[in-house]
Amino acid sequence: MQFYQIGLAAALVCVTISFWALMRERDDVHKLLLVDLIEIIGLVIIALVATDLAEALILPGLVVGISELIALAEIYIRKERRFVRTHKPIQIEVMKTAPPIISFILVVYGIILSGFSGGAVAGLGVVFYFMCIGHSERFELLETLSGYAWAFWIIAFFIFMILPQYWFIAVMISGGAILLKVTTKMSLIGTMRENYQEEQS
Amino acid sequence: MSTMFGLPIEGEHLYTLEFGDIVPYFSLYTCSLFIFAAIFIIIAIITKPEKQATIVFGTDGFFEKEINISDLKFQRFMAIACGLATLGAMVSGDIFNYALFTALVGITNIGIVAATDNRHILNAAFHYGIVAMVATVFLFGGAAIALATTGTLSIWALAGKNLVPIAAKIFLVFGVFGEGMAPFYIGKSEMIRAPGAPYVLMIHVSSLLIFLRVVEIVLTV
Repeated sequence: MQFYQIGLAAALVCVTISFWALMRERDDVHKLLLVDLIEIIGLVIIALVATDLAEALILPGLVVGISELIALAEIYIRKERRFVRTHKPIQIEVMKTAPPIISFILVVYGIILSGFSGGAVAGLGVVFYFMCIGHSERFELLETLSGYAWAFWIIAFFIFMILPQYWFIAVMISGGAILLKVTTKMSLIGTMRENYQEEQS
Repeated sequence: MSTMFGLPIEGEHLYTLEFGDIVPYFSLYTCSLFIFAAIFIIIAIITKPEKQATIVFGTDGFFEKEINISDLKFQRFMAIACGLATLGAMVSGDIFNYALFTALVGITNIGIVAATDNRHILNAAFHYGIVAMVATVFLFGGAAIALATTGTLSIWALAGKNLVPIAAKIFLVFGVFGEGMAPFYIGKSEMIRAPGAPYVLMIHVSSLLIFLRVVEIVLTV
């Protein structure tokens, strides 16, 4: 409990400092960044509780914070009329030759790891591939895959709850499904690079 | 049966939905707030948006302003979403769920205000958004402190025991102040009322209702 009180005092000092900064700041973008900083300290206050329940509460808190940040960023863009112009992306030779092998290694290693961390590693490989080589619009495929993976994840959880004696198959299903889900979600980051050639032609 | 329905603010016990220790409950108080929110969702669904007309001074002439249908559709969607989040906040029996629903009300309020191209309104929405984001810290912080001191978040379990520290209650009320601040910021959107009416109504209703509910929570736990 002693640690909790010290931690809480430290977090409140951080909140005070960032509020002071927010009060003095005049530029809108910097305000946005400072608000994000304050959100993180809010998560710290939840994390200080340090139980399983607190861990489960951090995720929705993070989601709410990020969605508000995205909404505000959209409003800022619309308000200041700052729309991004398409520009020619960087093209160097290593971006043509390296992706197949490095992505292959990362994806295979991610599949071996499986689960959440495996999904992150494999997703990194796919992001790298999409960023370097470019992508053609296959979002539907990624979304379908992600949706099925999510359904399998839920099915695995039902097996855990209803038929606990088959826990092993449930672990396998949920590990594979979360791997697919995280991979597809992360690979969407790679598709943020616009297809310059397609748009010019 | 919890001790909660002996408290004067709750009124009679009508219905409870038990999921373990998280119990959404309809007492006379929460049920009347729930019905109030439901009525305004129906209003947002069925009413037709107004058109703005500017009178030319000293004559009988007037201009009609064009409003994008897509913006109006987005506003209607956000108003309904805001109503649903308010419904959730009204009956939730868990402090953290209440905080989450209130944060959701804040996000959807931003959406309702921001669906326009007018720079002044967007500015107002942006500033409200910053206040709402800052307020989530107090909301979640209040819930987290309550969890740390009592070991549970269930209003059902905490009712009438007076275990939640005053600091957590103050944090919670501060958080709701921030999220329910929207009506002050949409003054600008009200001045040119039509781009948003009747959906702007939902902003007022939701902030009023989350204030009323936080009073109930603070007096109960």
